[in-house]
Amino acid sequence: MTAPAPAPAPSALRQGVELARKDLVLELRAGEALRVTAPFGAVALLLIPLGVGSDVPLLRQLGPGMYWVIVLLFGVLVTLRQSAVEGPAQLAVLRLCGVHPGVRLAGRAVANAVLLLAFEAVLAPVVIILYDPELTGWPWLLPVFPLVAAGLALLGTLANALAQGMAQRTALGPLLVVPLTLPLLLGATQVPQAARYGSQPALWLLMIFTLDFAVAVAIGLVARHLEESA
Amino acid sequence: MTLFGRRLPIATALVTAIAIAAATLAPPDQLQGELQRLMYVHVPTAWVAYLSFAVTLAASVAWLWRRTPRFDRIAASSAEAGVFFTGLAIALGSVWGKPTWGVWWTWDPRVVTTAVMFFVYVGYLALRQATPDPLARARRSAVFGVVAFVQVPIVHMSVVWWRALHQPPTVLKPGAPTIDGRMLTALLISVLAFSLFYLVVLRARVRLAVRTEEVEAALAERDQEPAGNAVLAPQWEKKGLRADV
Repeated sequence: MTAPAPAPAPSALRQGVELARKDLVLELRAGEALRVTAPFGAVALLLIPLGVGSDVPLLRQLGPGMYWVIVLLFGVLVTLRQSAVEGPAQLAVLRLCGVHPGVRLAGRAVANAVLLLAFEAVLAPVVIILYDPELTGWPWLLPVFPLVAAGLALLGTLANALAQGMAQRTALGPLLVVPLTLPLLLGATQVPQAARYGSQPALWLLMIFTLDFAVAVAIGLVARHLEESA
Repeated sequence: MTLFGRRLPIATALVTAIAIAAATLAPPDQLQGELQRLMYVHVPTAWVAYLSFAVTLAASVAWLWRRTPRFDRIAASSAEAGVFFTGLAIALGSVWGKPTWGVWWTWDPRVVTTAVMFFVYVGYLALRQATPDPLARARRSAVFGVVAFVQVPIVHMSVVWWRALHQPPTVLKPGAPTIDGRMLTALLISVLAFSLFYLVVLRARVRLAVRTEEVEAALAERDQEPAGNAVLAPQWEKKGLRADV
């Protein structure tokens, strides 16, 4: 009688999908991103008019920009949420299971991107109702939402990995991420304006995509070093 | 570390004196007059900021590749110098902006992206500060030092991508420089002087980092308790007993 052959190791794609699913299930249980951070963002959108005045034409102009600023600032909190923290024991298990650090970070980035997309979807009706922004050229926003979510998710994943295990993680993470989100903010706000004024919105989309791609490549290249820091 | 030894500060002082003379002798701008001479300080500080962050990038990549502490020291020291020169470039730009644009600060893409670059590298320094373990600090900051550099081309290209108040590049651009020959000469000498000054600062900071590490190691060794230190000797005298009994 021979011992049964060991089951083949799951592919990297399968591992990444499972890790992303694990993160999403944890978030579903904790509700940190959508039940705490999203209402917090909505409150911020509600408070801004009280600070700048309730001038309707002004708010109509400010609305889209404020929306993206809130998405980026509060979206960082989504990527740095407590439920996305792995302890040394969990990391050790993943290492022993042979999960490549790049796959682990990719899974985390995918889960972050899904959550950020949901976060954007929750806040979009709020800004439309409160600010009544100009929606000419809105179809151009359809690729902007996932591209911004992906960019912020990648940057947040990187910052989370850099600040892993540090006491100042929640304070340091935003400082590391937010300045680097400048191309995302510019691209997201300029695409509808370019569409409205007959310019080239595709160039702004290309800029966001370039940042997403560059950060994804950078994470892939440094993933092993980040694993050692954890 | 003997990068040019004692000759570097002497060469820096000499080139700085020539740069001051060249900046003084260069003709004034047709529109801005004498005010334009701020260019001989403002542009070199911005250039040195780029150079510092490029050195941080190169040293970070070198650390990830070779794991030599020297590269970590160079990366960190250069980032500190870069933050200083970026802050100086912003401050000088503000001083230049007030009489020409009428405001200390404007939402010009070059100005805003430069300020963002300043904060990116403040984040780099904060990351180092927050990581006490030297190896983890070197590794984390090396990774961030590579990623942070993405901001530098954005700052440089901002005046090309968005036409705003800040003038587009006149030297580092495709084609011939669009600047008077004497002004260009004075500017290039000034850039050389600032670059040499950066090397002096970088060398001093790296030496300071080495000394700091030596002091920290010595303190750690001194504070290390000898084996058996936790065992207290009985104090017979205080209890009125003789120790030799």
